[in-house]
Amino acid sequence: MLATSCFAQGDAKRGEYIAKAGGCLGCHTVEKDKAVPYAGGRALKTPFGTFYGPNITPHPQAGIGRWSEADFVRALREGRRPDGAHYFPAFPYPSFTLITDADLRDLWAYMRSLPPSSRQSEPHDLGFLYRWRFLVGIWKWLFFTPGPFAPDPGQSAVLNRGKYLVTALGHCGECHTPRNFLGAPKKSRFLGGAKFGKGTAASNLTPTRLGKQGDGELKEFLRTAMTPDGDVAAASMAEVVQNTTGQLTPQDLDALVAYLRSLPPLPEEGK
Amino acid sequence: MKKTLLAAGVAIVVGGVAGTALAQVKPEVLVKQRQAVMTLQGKYFGPIAGMASGKVTPYNADVVSRSATYLENLAQMAWDGFHESTKGGKNTNALPEIWSQKAKFDELSQRLQTETAKLGEVARAKDEAGVKRQYAAVGKVCGACHESFRQKL
Repeated sequence: MLATSCFAQGDAKRGEYIAKAGGCLGCHTVEKDKAVPYAGGRALKTPFGTFYGPNITPHPQAGIGRWSEADFVRALREGRRPDGAHYFPAFPYPSFTLITDADLRDLWAYMRSLPPSSRQSEPHDLGFLYRWRFLVGIWKWLFFTPGPFAPDPGQSAVLNRGKYLVTALGHCGECHTPRNFLGAPKKSRFLGGAKFGKGTAASNLTPTRLGKQGDGELKEFLRTAMTPDGDVAAASMAEVVQNTTGQLTPQDLDALVAYLRSLPPLPEEGK
Repeated sequence: MKKTLLAAGVAIVVGGVAGTALAQVKPEVLVKQRQAVMTLQGKYFGPIAGMASGKVTPYNADVVSRSATYLENLAQMAWDGFHESTKGGKNTNALPEIWSQKAKFDELSQRLQTETAKLGEVARAKDEAGVKRQYAAVGKVCGACHESFRQKL
């Protein structure tokens, strides 16, 4: 009986944890005090224009209340809307495609359990050329490989879990891997740090940079957004710590750090 | 009358000296000094954050009060070290945006002083709930400024 019900339907409680590990809140909640979680509105400025995270609460008109589980799975796995149109990869489906079927089902169960909000999503504000969604099809053909994470049997369970947390759920590379002129991540510089112009940047996460920190220091940073000597993280990473890394179980945090330690060291990019 | 004039003269000379003194300090020394301030801010913010977040137990209102008072004073000290002469210097993570977006930088430095003063107040009043609220406000200003004006490490 128990086995059947688990199989038939996702577990919303587990799904809540997956939503945290996936950092969904950040882009899908407006930056305001007392904002409704997951009701959308966060602006993401990119060289291609400004994207707004949409309302993903189960409201039938304003949110995704009319979606089926299959619609949800297709959105994250294939980067497609229920009507078949492509999502812009500002929605990090190149990472989320790696999420396992079981995790997607649990995540869907959690999304269904949220209180619906009628907040209207705003349209994206994109540069002239980038407005056509069919061009995203070409982009996907060039840069996107759909399919769930396949653990490497040659690696330990801990390293596989860490890799899954970093590459699939955490989508760390969306900021920490530099992109080419078409906005696709440079695979040779995976997690090697990226600059976004005007001084903002994301750190190199390979041992070149993180090797200077002990495990304890690194974990404390990922739990509290502070180092033991009282240094405070920049605001955007502090938010990730609050929403995601600070919410992970101790085992998952260990796995995440172990995986980062196992990365090939990449030199800092030239200034 | 003569005495007043003389005093005024002395005041002008002394004021002038104080004003130019800073300009004559070597840029690399200014960088070192402001980094020392940042390090000490970390030293005193650390225990406050640790106790306010419950990571360090037990909560010690005396330690928090003392640290917050030091922090409040330190929060006023770094800013004149961000002199134009230090722009593009070595051994610093300060970004040139500090000078190209001066108004924003000044606003954040002012906000740090306001928020740490409030933290000092609640800490000295031994208001634990107030500290737990206010330490987060201070951390937010630290992070906001590091976001735009410090090179990512």
